[in-house]
Amino acid sequence: MRGESGRRVVVTGLGAVSGIGIGAAEFLAGLRAGKSAARPVTAFDTEGFEHAMACEVPDFEPGRWIRNLNIGNLGRASQFSVAAARMAVADAGIAEDALRAVPSLISIGTTDGESGDLDQLVETEVDLGPERMDPTVARRVPAGRLSAVIAEEFGLSRTEAVTLPTACAAGNYAIGYGYDAIRGGDVEVALCGGADALCRKTFTGFYRLGTIAPERCQPFDKDRKGILTGEGAGVLVLESLESALARGARIYAEVLGYGLNCDADHPVAPNQDSVARCMRLALDDARIKPEEVDFISAHGTGTRANDITEARAIRQVFGDDAPPRTVSIKSMIGHSMGAAGALASIACALALTEGFIPPTINHVETDPECGLDVVPNEAVDAELRVVQNNGLAFGGNNAVVIFGKRGTDWN
Amino acid sequence: MAAIVEERRETIKEIVTDILEIDPDEVTETSLFKEEHDADSLRAIEILAALEKTFNVVIDQSELGRMVNLKGVYEVVSDAAGW
Repeated sequence: MRGESGRRVVVTGLGAVSGIGIGAAEFLAGLRAGKSAARPVTAFDTEGFEHAMACEVPDFEPGRWIRNLNIGNLGRASQFSVAAARMAVADAGIAEDALRAVPSLISIGTTDGESGDLDQLVETEVDLGPERMDPTVARRVPAGRLSAVIAEEFGLSRTEAVTLPTACAAGNYAIGYGYDAIRGGDVEVALCGGADALCRKTFTGFYRLGTIAPERCQPFDKDRKGILTGEGAGVLVLESLESALARGARIYAEVLGYGLNCDADHPVAPNQDSVARCMRLALDDARIKPEEVDFISAHGTGTRANDITEARAIRQVFGDDAPPRTVSIKSMIGHSMGAAGALASIACALALTEGFIPPTINHVETDPECGLDVVPNEAVDAELRVVQNNGLAFGGNNAVVIFGKRGTDWN
Repeated sequence: MAAIVEERRETIKEIVTDILEIDPDEVTETSLFKEEHDADSLRAIEILAALEKTFNVVIDQSELGRMVNLKGVYEVVSDAAGW
């Protein structure tokens, strides 16, 4: 698509399920206040772990959002995904029959799919034998359902429902795919984002790698101790600028462009040059110069390896002198895996609309090797025009999305 | 006693060669996992986890720095198990 003008793509609806708030308004309030979702894990038995904090979504009531599907047939990640889609469509003010009448795309990113259900099935198999595994739970497992169930809930038949399994960058991949589909005129509405639910497998994997923080997530801090696993979902409604203007929709932000690459350099360690290349791809696609970026929503997991590599890559692209302010909302909501890029994109859209930069909380002293202004602990007001959202995943899967303020002409 | 020590050494060697996917004949007491046998940090953690399980011990991750060859691994497991 690069070089072709295509249609302009805007964000007109937001749906958020996060540990600091459900729905765009609560999520915004949480971001502004620098709220923390960290609490002891309740999703599974944590006996044997020396520490087990995470950022769960407390008191999630799927019945408040899901109208047509049988909730018992949905795993927790699918419940998040459908709920966030419901919120986003309502927020966009699109009537269900209008949504059914146009060609649409549903793209949802994920790391784990319904691994929480798999945890449970395997436990049953080991303890009681395979014949005792619950068939209803088994049917919930395929990751493709995270997007398909949204189509089912709304009764969409003129839609492509795709689940993108590019792990921790998947939310950004999904938005990029939606951006292309709208830009090229393939569809009129795209519901894009990501979803994941806390599960024992992923917690244990990160724990075993020594990358789970004992109490709190401190991205870019000198004494950062790792991630906190999180959960949730984010769904954004994308449509063309003409379509949004024609129906008088509220426009949160414009999607200016995106970039993605995969270096397959290492199973878990990010590659600095490759991350820098991905940011350049996104900036080029958006036709934005590095100095025009007002802040970066970092991948910022809070591990030693990610933060230093990402910070160096940012300096490689933006220069050593004055790189943009760089924040990590994972300090508040933990690492929600496939939902991370989507929830951070929602944060970017809200930041552009409301004129503020969300903080990096739990911050004591910036790691001099990172050398970035991370907007420590308290949100700041700021006139913003362009923001960049980074997503980096295991296997060297990187995806970066650039958002611009509504109503601004960038050419 | 000597028989037990020999058995433990054999078990550790089996774990390591199995995880690194190398022939037991290729590895010596002092050949280096990373430099000579293509190990990386993930394999090292896999070895650590397997040792913890097999010998029912807890090994701190900071010990990975000593676990560079079979000799080092044996010492770390000995310390952890109090052999």
